[in-house]
Amino acid sequence: MRALEYVRATDAAQAVEIVAGDPTAAFLAGGTTQLDLMKDGVLNPTRLVDITRLPLRAIESHEDVLHVGALVTMEELAAHPTVADRIPFVRDALLSGASVQLRNMATIGGNLLQRTRCRYFRDPDVSQCNKRAPGSGCAAVHGSPRMHAILGASARCIAVHASDLAVALVALDAVVHVQGLAGPRQVPLTEFYLEAADSPEVENVLQHGELITSLSVPLLPAGARSGYLKVRDRSSYEFALTSAAVSLLIFGNAIKEARIGLGGVGSVPWRAWEAERALVGASASVENFQWAAAQAVQGAWTVPGTAFKVELARRTLVRELQALAGVAP
Amino acid sequence: MRTVRSRPVIGTGVNRVDGPRKVTGTAPYPMDFDVPGQVYAALVQSTIAAGRILRIDTEAAEASPGVVTVLTHTNAPRLKRAPVSKLGASPPPPLQDDRILHYGQHIAVVVAETPEQATAAARLVSAEYEPTEPLLDLMDPRAPQVDDPWGTDHSRGDAAAALTTAEVMVEATYTTADNTNNPLGPFATLASWDGGHLTVHDTTQWPFLVRGTLAAVFGVPESSVRVLAPYVGGGFGAGLRVWPHVILTVAAARLLQRPVKLVLTRPQMFTSVGHRPKTVQRISVGATRTGDLVGIDHRSVSPVAMEDEDYEPVASGTASAYACENVFTQDRQARLNIPDPTSMRAPAQAQGNFALESALDELAYKLGVDPLDLRLRNYAEIHPVHSLPWSSKALRECYEVGAQRFGWYARNPVPGSMRDGNWLVGYGVAGVSYPWFAMDCYAQVTVHRDGSALVRSAATDIGTGTYTVMTQLSAECLGLHLGQVRFDLGDSDMPVAPQAGGSGLTAALGNAVFDACHQLLRRFAELASGDRESPLYGVAPEAVEATQGHVHPIGRPRLGETYTDILGRHELPELAANGHSRPRSQDELGMAPAGAFGAKFVEVRVDAELGLVRVARAVSVIDGGRILNEKTARSQIIGGTVGGIGMALLEDTVTDVPSGRIANGTFGDYLIPVNADVPDMDVVFVGDPDRGSPVGTKGVGEVGIVGVAAAVANAVHHATGKRIRSLPITLDALL
Repeated sequence: MRALEYVRATDAAQAVEIVAGDPTAAFLAGGTTQLDLMKDGVLNPTRLVDITRLPLRAIESHEDVLHVGALVTMEELAAHPTVADRIPFVRDALLSGASVQLRNMATIGGNLLQRTRCRYFRDPDVSQCNKRAPGSGCAAVHGSPRMHAILGASARCIAVHASDLAVALVALDAVVHVQGLAGPRQVPLTEFYLEAADSPEVENVLQHGELITSLSVPLLPAGARSGYLKVRDRSSYEFALTSAAVSLLIFGNAIKEARIGLGGVGSVPWRAWEAERALVGASASVENFQWAAAQAVQGAWTVPGTAFKVELARRTLVRELQALAGVAP
Repeated sequence: MRTVRSRPVIGTGVNRVDGPRKVTGTAPYPMDFDVPGQVYAALVQSTIAAGRILRIDTEAAEASPGVVTVLTHTNAPRLKRAPVSKLGASPPPPLQDDRILHYGQHIAVVVAETPEQATAAARLVSAEYEPTEPLLDLMDPRAPQVDDPWGTDHSRGDAAAALTTAEVMVEATYTTADNTNNPLGPFATLASWDGGHLTVHDTTQWPFLVRGTLAAVFGVPESSVRVLAPYVGGGFGAGLRVWPHVILTVAAARLLQRPVKLVLTRPQMFTSVGHRPKTVQRISVGATRTGDLVGIDHRSVSPVAMEDEDYEPVASGTASAYACENVFTQDRQARLNIPDPTSMRAPAQAQGNFALESALDELAYKLGVDPLDLRLRNYAEIHPVHSLPWSSKALRECYEVGAQRFGWYARNPVPGSMRDGNWLVGYGVAGVSYPWFAMDCYAQVTVHRDGSALVRSAATDIGTGTYTVMTQLSAECLGLHLGQVRFDLGDSDMPVAPQAGGSGLTAALGNAVFDACHQLLRRFAELASGDRESPLYGVAPEAVEATQGHVHPIGRPRLGETYTDILGRHELPELAANGHSRPRSQDELGMAPAGAFGAKFVEVRVDAELGLVRVARAVSVIDGGRILNEKTARSQIIGGTVGGIGMALLEDTVTDVPSGRIANGTFGDYLIPVNADVPDMDVVFVGDPDRGSPVGTKGVGEVGIVGVAAAVANAVHHATGKRIRSLPITLDALL
């Protein structure tokens, strides 16, 4: 039987030191990804450093930013009044994910670092997986890819980043606070993830042993409207086929600011920069929304099982833009 | 024929008698049992779908902490194939040679002191294969074909000729997906040998099959095998066979002379205990311009495992569904390198009904008549195959009551004409004629000196309510209140009972219980009749009944005495009687024995741009004969309807090509409906007690799922104008 050492960290520096110094060590927070993957034989750490006792559970509300400790649970964040008031699409995204039981365990830091749901990645009996075994190939490309990525994907890997929350957070330009051996640093969430098309096996910019300690989430300006639309086969407790996290600031009929994240389609939580650029300065109309949505899915890489997601992602974004702008079809 | 009269206890929606045990977690399911000294087994499964094992390396596993033994085909005992049951052959015994017939086939079992040790060691077993190309495609011409596997193909009149001259015709191909039973409780087996005696706790719907199979495979008398299954965490048909993992557990226990426990993991449940096979169905339905059916031709192909059988006559239900003179049905199976298909709730009927009832809807649109009117116009007043009156049939009432409750005639029949914001609204209907199935059953009833009763039969309650309804029926027949009756089941040392399957158990067991109670009452009456001290002295035994704990002349409760009085005067501790039921053939009855009937009315909402399909309402009207307990029967129909929503919109067991691996074998990836997918459901029972049996009940365990898929597909067509002939109906088909 595989022996496992369990360490309960008492401060962040100690936790970082242990994990950074041991390539086979991993952090343990809510465990909703880590323990699953260990049971499936995908992850095999020999040492787990439990960080759940670290003082990283605060939510601090400032004038234009919310600071969220990495160990805040999904339910706690969803219940925070500032989230509901100022960034409601973050709340929508949180509550559309997983189940209440999971959201009570899963932490915000862990949510950002959750691993893909790809069944080819999660089954060690599948030999081809560039994420698990770099250079081995990608079984999903020729398999059953309905739940897989079309953006930031390639024949090397089409695994999707399944977080709902992260889709809203990339749209908001949230910033990740990280502590490593060399001290703290900050990384914009939009620069945090690495696309699978380039590096299936390396998913983000963290060095081994670096710990997410908190998140700064900018609040939306007064008058902004935001929403999260998640499209899925099952009405609840299911990952997105496509989703759109959108915030719009409209004066008169002109769009002053647009923030758009797409979920269920990207190997990383997808910031739709081109769509935003297409909208800013434009009027809120169905035609403009359709044009912007077409920009959002430019460069999609599909296989037969994912081809429908290009159109679905487009329609999902148009629907949410219409809903926020109050524009009838 | 003496029949059960309706009295207060029968039919009443009383709560489950085992409810408190279940909700407090004290009802022991097979995986909850432990015995001293037990060790734990974990399975190793093949990672190819066809070929041979060249080498299997168990060294590392054997050296792993706590490991007691590792069995592979190189060292496993040679086992006889189990005998054929009434449901067909048993699966081939495991670990008998180096051949691989499907991905996920058991290739080794590791036994260790703890489950964790066994699981970890199982990962250390490695196999080297010589793979061959697996047959995975149902339409692959190389797949060996089995024509008319069960002799159910049907031909009357001349369907081909009738269809060539039909004024209006629909001809289409429908497909359904592989579905996996997925009972909530993982299947478990705990086997203990004591010398030549074997005790097995097992997840089964049929303890007697397990007993007979294990006795034959291990060469011991049936009387030396005891199978226990007092509680089963669901089955949906997966528990109707003795699977290889059960045999392996018993074999390991015998080899080690220690009790061995095995619990399947959820992914293993996808390859080890059966699944509903996909189908490709070609159907032609012809009619006159006025809507009289003139011919139906229904042919189905479904897969079966390379060396197994599965009773799945998909097209057969069409033979008796409608009054039509020219009908041809044909079933064919293609052998593939897949895990064994097996019965899953309404096997064959759920798939076959989808094609037939979709085609009827297409025909109605082609004719320009109401889909409901078309069904009523071709209503089979007598059994179309046997040309005999049905023992009961209230399908017409199902349609009429359903249409009224649903508001069917308020719909605008034009596809795409009803809308609510972004949602297109559609109404769909389907009819269900469920086949009749019955088997012999035995029961024993004992009344004790204190007036309480113990009733026993080796049946199972897989969540259906058997404990409850049989307690009710026994209490009714013996004139006792519910608290005075204990009903025991799930033990092969009890009187023989058939499987909980084919919607046949309630009728078979109910009639056996009825017979046992009747026999016992007669014994009491005979004792009293010859006893000068009894108020029943001289009363003819057949003129006696029991109510409120009193045995008395029929209709005269004040003239009787209690069971306790009779037993006491005769110094008897108890009195017992056995009961038996057997199916009555149509010749004996002069009628065609009927199964349940039903009508399904469904409202769907389809998002016009996003393609999302959601079921907004479902009305089920069911003729189940006598309903013993309105509450548990209703739960059966609700559960069946939920399963039907899954079949229609979500469930699809995906096989990777060319590996043959199940691509979505977890609850995260194989979607079944959650509460948010399930609307408020209206369930109504109509009809009279069935005339084919004393109790008059018809099983309702399966009829609830049948028809849902067709009703949903028909509603999707009504909402969108798109006819989806392939299940599940997912949004990409509607974009």
